[in-house]
Amino acid sequence: MKEIQQKKTKKGLSRRGMLKGTAAVAGLAAGSTIGGFPTIWAQDDLEVRTLGMAVSNMPQLEEMANEALPFKVKQTAASIPDIITRGLNQPKSADLFEPPFMTMRTMWPSGKFQAWDTTKLPEWDQVVDLYKGPGKIWPDAWYGDGQNPSTVGYTSGIDSRDFAKPGSTKWITNHPVLHNADTLGIRPDIIGRPIESWKELINPEFAGRAALVAFPQIGLMDAAMAFQANGEIEYGDKGNMTQEEIDFSIDRLIELKKGDHWRALWSTFNDSVQLMVSGEVVIQSMWSPAVTAVREQGVDCVYQDLKEGYRSWSLGHMIPKHIEGKQLGAVYDYVTWYHSGPAGAFFARQGYYVVTWQNTKKYLPKAEWDFWFEGKPATVDIYSPFGKKMESVGAVRDGGSYKNRMGRIAVWNSVMEENEYLTERWNEFMAS
Amino acid sequence: MRENIKRAPGYWPRAVLFYFYLLFLYGPIVIILILSFQDENASLSFPMQGFSIYYFKEVIDPQYIGDFRWPFGRSVILGLISMVLTMGIAFLAGLAFRKNFRGNILVFYIVVASLICPSILISLGIGIGFANLGLTSQWWSGGLGAHLSWTLPFGVLIMLAVFSRLDPRLEEAAVDQGATKWQTLRNVTIPITLPGLVGVALFGFTLSYDEYPRISNVAGEFNTLPVELVNALALAATPAIYAIGTMTTLFSLAVIFSTFIIVYFMAKRRQGFGLKKT
Amino acid sequence: MAGFAAILNRYSTALQISPLVITLTLFLVGPVVVIIILSLWKFDGFMTLDGVWTFKNYIKIFTRSLTVINYLETLKLLAITLFVTFILGFTLAYFLVFDIVKLRTKMLLFLLCVVPFWTSAVIRTVAWIPFLGSEGIINQAIMGIGLSDQPLKFLLFSEFAVLLSYIQIFTLFMMAPLFNVMARINKDLIEAARDNGASSLQILWNIILPLCKPGIAIGAIFVIALVASDFTAIRILGGAKVGTVAASMANQMYNVQYPPAAATGMILLLAVLLLVGGIMRMVDVRRQL
Repeated sequence: MKEIQQKKTKKGLSRRGMLKGTAAVAGLAAGSTIGGFPTIWAQDDLEVRTLGMAVSNMPQLEEMANEALPFKVKQTAASIPDIITRGLNQPKSADLFEPPFMTMRTMWPSGKFQAWDTTKLPEWDQVVDLYKGPGKIWPDAWYGDGQNPSTVGYTSGIDSRDFAKPGSTKWITNHPVLHNADTLGIRPDIIGRPIESWKELINPEFAGRAALVAFPQIGLMDAAMAFQANGEIEYGDKGNMTQEEIDFSIDRLIELKKGDHWRALWSTFNDSVQLMVSGEVVIQSMWSPAVTAVREQGVDCVYQDLKEGYRSWSLGHMIPKHIEGKQLGAVYDYVTWYHSGPAGAFFARQGYYVVTWQNTKKYLPKAEWDFWFEGKPATVDIYSPFGKKMESVGAVRDGGSYKNRMGRIAVWNSVMEENEYLTERWNEFMAS
Repeated sequence: MRENIKRAPGYWPRAVLFYFYLLFLYGPIVIILILSFQDENASLSFPMQGFSIYYFKEVIDPQYIGDFRWPFGRSVILGLISMVLTMGIAFLAGLAFRKNFRGNILVFYIVVASLICPSILISLGIGIGFANLGLTSQWWSGGLGAHLSWTLPFGVLIMLAVFSRLDPRLEEAAVDQGATKWQTLRNVTIPITLPGLVGVALFGFTLSYDEYPRISNVAGEFNTLPVELVNALALAATPAIYAIGTMTTLFSLAVIFSTFIIVYFMAKRRQGFGLKKT
Repeated sequence: MAGFAAILNRYSTALQISPLVITLTLFLVGPVVVIIILSLWKFDGFMTLDGVWTFKNYIKIFTRSLTVINYLETLKLLAITLFVTFILGFTLAYFLVFDIVKLRTKMLLFLLCVVPFWTSAVIRTVAWIPFLGSEGIINQAIMGIGLSDQPLKFLLFSEFAVLLSYIQIFTLFMMAPLFNVMARINKDLIEAARDNGASSLQILWNIILPLCKPGIAIGAIFVIALVASDFTAIRILGGAKVGTVAASMANQMYNVQYPPAAATGMILLLAVLLLVGGIMRMVDVRRQL
């Protein structure tokens, strides 16, 4: 049954259909005439090389792209620091970079990238309002602390270095690709009672069995959610703290560390899975695919919906400055294909959301759409894109619907103004 | 006939320590070996799930995590290039150092500095350097340079040690017999320093093959194996890396032992079988 | 042709040393200069301000307590690693040189020690986790025998785990130079001493150890270089709870805080150079080599 589901997405967008679509875009973007379109691409050894995180650069996706597009696509995976460093220092080493939105204050003003012209992106209308003027997907959604993606999404010209008011121009700095809502992962079987609040992360009941992610910005924000939920402090902006707020948080973290509260700080995905599977940790910062990996090994793990909301992140495509002409056209085509639906379905099945949900909906069978987006109990067994069974009939997605998760963002992954101070104090936390 | 070897005092404790050390070295490798044979529901730790070659198939025909075949090939090639270049450059440097040329102390300290300089800084420095020149660093340009800055100190220090023990009278004798400089080099110097050169070769290849921090920023579009592995680890938790570990270990064991056997038989043939050799 | 050969002869030394000098100038001196420049630029919290000169990055390093804590931690790890790798490396080299008679066996055993290095260090470091974790082999064994009824948590995500992996990987770098130096000790010296009635211990202390000094020095330099700049093992096995200078610098680099990271790195380089210089003063490595 899973084979049928997978074949459907592949057949969904035929190569010819894609060619027709890209012809129009290519013409617009490259400024060239449309005539002889397929042959032009075929003659040039055109290739789009992307550098991004492993979540969005994997063999199956690369294969899908290569089948659908008339030019070659090569995806390379790298860690976040590598993406940033390479983007800033070796911009010619890729045609598209996929940094997370939280790095935009570093990436965009560097002047190494060019803006996207939204009038040349056919799928831009389908991109959710989170990245546009409103800064949220639904009118009644939470806006969230920290760096809302819309605030770093717009700019005044193709090679300016500023950030314009959301929705005010046609130039965007980073074409959003994916987003998701993060929360704490728990072992419900070991904990044995309902967990409803972020404050449980620092609950002495779990001393020695809690963990945090080792990235300073993210780890600190998870901790901040816990401290605020516990009533210890009220932050002005959890995503942009003052030195006093940072001091308070780090001092509390050190205090907890001295009390042996933290089993570990994990810096690789692998560690976070291991900690959960072995039961060494029962509550921790976690990423969605890690929860899946733990479950795949038959261990009970829940990505817990908490009443204070979620911490959210987003990543997207940035074009290095030097890309032009046919290459630029190919890049626009790639991104257009990316948001036309099939990739959306691929990611949805892993628990992520591509930013153009209406197109994704076209490529997901209704039963799966209901499970992943509507938060309804599964009416069929749910499989990952790699053929592994994830959920049985009747299961409900952790956190429920798209709206319940992405509509309740408490804080965005951000780089704060006091970033340097934060890193220093975080180093102290590590050394204590 | 086997002589009765007199064992020095303390032999057995030392022997035990040695074999215990080998156990210590190979322990993780054995674990990697065992855990790579799990089936698809596997974790990265015990208890072991099933028994299959699923992950070996994953590596050869990648689905979920990255394609490791090309990075592996690149690492091997880069390692070989590093090895050859290190051997050549270190050998020449060893020859030069014998003559106490002007500035030799400065060069020596630069070599030591290359060894102790934090790798990620060098990587960043090379990357920025390339960027300012408008070039893109690749694994065979900036990457190779980064690796050489790591392997050359080892190679040069080894060669210096080897050359310092080389009795110059041997070469003088050859010259007295009428040999030219090249002949002396080929027939006297190189054969005597050969063990040292082999050591340099070994270090040169191994250090490059497994190097991550120095090349992390300058590998360019195409990753080497360590870079690919670190990326994989950061974003997925698959025992496929154990399968890779097993495969690369078996590969290296095969290479080492076949080389050993070839050399052994060549040596035996040269001396004629049956003659005693230490 | 003769003229060409003559030129080769005259400048032979220069030609011989130039590949090394050129390579290191391009790929060491150059990058270091870049880093020094970088460390003198301003960082505004998000990005490096090119061309805005300041000493602030260095001032910060010398005016906060984190620096001292980091260096103490690094020195601690260094001291323990040096000590253990020395004892272990020396004994192993001694075994290979003096206890094993056949050259063939010596080579074989030495190679056996090198082969694990062709399995990525990253994988080998990760492989410690199933060993040392709460549900890992060692804890299962300990609890099974009844030595303890709780898993020993300090085995993993601790200094202990990091040190274990250092010793596993770095002992070879101490053993190899010692092996090299020991093998060249003139056996006649030892014979003579023995004939004169010296015990094995006396021979060890008075003959072997002193003659091994250059080897010890080189081995120490290798180990210092490796320990001072490692951050991978600290991340994976230290649970990021161990705070050395390299770990702090890596954190700064990962957060794209280049100028502060560059400054931290330069000071680290200086510190290690001083340490190594001290060793080379005690043992004139250059002359002995």
